[in-house]
Amino acid sequence: MAFDLTVNGASHSVDADPDTPLLWVIRDYLGLTGTKFSCGIAQCGACTVHVDGQPVRSCSFPASLAIGKAIKTIEGVSSDGNHPIQVAWKELDAPQCGYCQSGMIMSALALLAKLPHPTDADIDANVTNACRCSSYHRVRKAIHRAAELMKA
Amino acid sequence: MTQSRRDFLASSAAGAFVLGFWLPPRPARAGENVAPPHGAAWYEDPTAPEINAWIVIAPDDTVTIRIAQTELGQGVWTSNAMIVCEELQCDWSKVRSQYASANRDGREMAPDWTLNVPGNGGTDPKGGGEPGFGNRARTGVVGIPDSVYRRMRTNAASSVKDGRYYLQLAGAEARERLLLAAAAVWKVPVGELVAKDGVITHPPSGRKTTYGKVAALASRTPHPNPKAIAIKSPDQWTLMGTEQKNRDVPMKVTGETVYSIDVRVPGMKWAAAKACPVYGGDVKSYDFDAVRNMPGVRSAHRFPIPDPKLTRGHVFSGGIAVVADHWHQAKAAVEKMPIEWSIPARNAAFNTANMHAALVAALDEPGTVRVNVGDVDAAFAHAKKIVEATYSTPYLPRARMEPGNATVLVTDNRVDIWYGDQSPQETRFSASQITGIAEADVYLHQCHLGGGFGRNGNGPQAEQAIMIANANRGTPIHLLWTREEDFIGTTYRAMGVARLRAALDANGWPVALEVRTGMQKDGFGPDASFDVASRYFVPSYRFSNHTTDFHVPVGTRRGVGQAAHEFYRESFMNELAHAAGKDPYRYRRELIARTKLPFKDDMIKALDIAAEMSGWGEPLPKGTVRSIALEERGAETGGSATISAMVHTVSVSRDGKVRLERVDVAHDQGFGLVNPLSVKKQIEGQITWFYNDAMHQAVHIVDGHVDENNFHRFPLSRIDEDPPEIAIRFFATGHWLLGMGHDRGTSVQSAIGDAVFQITGKRYRDLPYRQHDLSWS
Repeated sequence: MAFDLTVNGASHSVDADPDTPLLWVIRDYLGLTGTKFSCGIAQCGACTVHVDGQPVRSCSFPASLAIGKAIKTIEGVSSDGNHPIQVAWKELDAPQCGYCQSGMIMSALALLAKLPHPTDADIDANVTNACRCSSYHRVRKAIHRAAELMKA
Repeated sequence: MTQSRRDFLASSAAGAFVLGFWLPPRPARAGENVAPPHGAAWYEDPTAPEINAWIVIAPDDTVTIRIAQTELGQGVWTSNAMIVCEELQCDWSKVRSQYASANRDGREMAPDWTLNVPGNGGTDPKGGGEPGFGNRARTGVVGIPDSVYRRMRTNAASSVKDGRYYLQLAGAEARERLLLAAAAVWKVPVGELVAKDGVITHPPSGRKTTYGKVAALASRTPHPNPKAIAIKSPDQWTLMGTEQKNRDVPMKVTGETVYSIDVRVPGMKWAAAKACPVYGGDVKSYDFDAVRNMPGVRSAHRFPIPDPKLTRGHVFSGGIAVVADHWHQAKAAVEKMPIEWSIPARNAAFNTANMHAALVAALDEPGTVRVNVGDVDAAFAHAKKIVEATYSTPYLPRARMEPGNATVLVTDNRVDIWYGDQSPQETRFSASQITGIAEADVYLHQCHLGGGFGRNGNGPQAEQAIMIANANRGTPIHLLWTREEDFIGTTYRAMGVARLRAALDANGWPVALEVRTGMQKDGFGPDASFDVASRYFVPSYRFSNHTTDFHVPVGTRRGVGQAAHEFYRESFMNELAHAAGKDPYRYRRELIARTKLPFKDDMIKALDIAAEMSGWGEPLPKGTVRSIALEERGAETGGSATISAMVHTVSVSRDGKVRLERVDVAHDQGFGLVNPLSVKKQIEGQITWFYNDAMHQAVHIVDGHVDENNFHRFPLSRIDEDPPEIAIRFFATGHWLLGMGHDRGTSVQSAIGDAVFQITGKRYRDLPYRQHDLSWS
């Protein structure tokens, strides 16, 4: 059954079961592979995307709930890889293996939209993505740096 | 499928390579050499002349450097390119990394000028250190002696240690040939030329050219005496030793990086697997008809227990896979399909409790005595005080974020594998054994890995994928494990126990130490940290291993036995210091000073610097304490080593919440670090890795299967548990480093236990600490 999804500003017709998790629609039907699969049970956050600005764990979010809403993935953060959050991530050399970083960036971006100058406690409460390399030390610094860059 | 240019070159002109001649690419045939997606890192045939097996320079001066180890977050993509660039003297901003061809490595011999390691081992600053090549064997039995890339495995934290000398040589050899080419063009003596940042200058005449302009000629210009080429020592480094941002990071912040899971091949179908949850079990029966008509479902395939000779002797499980158009369809079907298992009764009888009891019981058996110095029994007979403690560590998986997966296309005369692989030659061997296709016709297209933490090649995801693809010849199959399958498919760090006993004299100094460690047979690193000598002085010392036989496949996991053993050793040192009424820092310092260990001064320096950085001895608020520990690899060898000490400032709230507040790290930089930025990241990451181990992680065995098999029950530390402050200070030593990828930060484990003891008075000796009541009043 076909339905329409708006991803990163573009409308796509998807021929899939609308109950398919949004993650698999994004990755396998739309070919946007920046969003990652890891646990499949909304625990780790590697699959985080925005639906109408809210971070959701797309592995456990039926695509049907995103119909008519604006979906943003890592590919939609910027056209040139130089959104302030990406610049900050590069300045701090934050990623290690990088597998969780798409989700990490999407969570941090949602936090910065809500709280442009987050405290460490805000970061602890809102960026709950798992990183097995434990890149957290630089991720925290990169979020603060992104807040500075976005203010400018 | 068609023969690639590389096949042709290697089979017909391997000798020419050694001399440095380059053949133009053969035009691609239809369907071959489809341009890989932006973000893919696997090997591609070059369009410009290659200077040697590591270096291709294009007319626009872009330098492609081939990396033979896999990027899994440790920074090898950048550090090993820096090593080549340092000697090549090219422009770092024009360097791009690309994976070396595993297929080529399987059939081309190393140039003879790379065979001899320059210098005198681990303590010669001008030499190549102590590279190890014993790990090149694909199966543990068969090796590729002196293959061109020497070592394509990514393990043992050794990519820099083993690769540095020949990468330096490769860069230097190419530089010399570029200079020879320019000298030939200008008809001037090569000694009058200077190379810097990819530009060759002839100062007497003021002429300049670039590497890109002379690369084609250089590719045809052999070096007259490559064995005479020298490598730079650290005092001559200009790029190595500087902090360089990692070259793979820009694509990791845009989602463009192609990990194995992101591989898409025309005509590809997806497979989801279900292996018997109990290792050694297999499928008894299944009912594909029950799911055959589910959307997208195409076929089901039984796969047997992968031949243990392809999985380093480990016995994993047999299972069933469903192939479908999309992975979520395959997964839905395999999870709904009725499957009956055939499980060996012995394996189903294993539970954590009876396994732990067996390990502890084995400690009372004679075991294998590895060290016996002095007269331990006599010393205990005359001891003023005896301290004894038994510690336990659980089974631990790597649980890397990218679940096991691989894409495989088998045709009648060729196998292609797209895979993030820490041991590509083992996988090529597996593919050949499973399909019957010659290993020379097996191509592995290397992808970046979503985490490593211990060579993953001994898990059977590639073997499963090859078996399924072999049953679907002509169709590329992408097998992807669920997280739950990943917990079944990985090897585990062995569950371990250790009993340490010390006899103390009247002043609280140990006069004898007895260490018994228990681990299942084939557990990795049974002698790590206790081998040869105790790191802390005792006149009498006995160390024995006590093994049992369990069914869980065990392998490396961010280190070998070391991570557990350093927990045992450093925890016990804290217990001894407390028993002696002495400061744990000064107690350690004195006991190291009494040894004759070759690097005792470095260990003392590490303790002193870390203590000073932390403000050791200065008052802290109630509920917050410091704990110090030593971390070392190779301190007993007198060769390569990595030595550090950390002071952890830890708070425990009255309701038992632990917080790592601050970590002060004094770390050995040896003769020089290649990329100190990556080293810092490795240290930072491993601190929270080991915090996670210490506080949370454990896998239990229930009726033979792994009980915790996803992240709701196998907790991962998040950013709120990362220490707010990490201070790192490097200090110079007189040896090359053994490596950075594991066993840094092991001290978190003993430090938290000691902090809990200092604050609450309770001593817990079994990890993880979360299972205990840490509250106090």
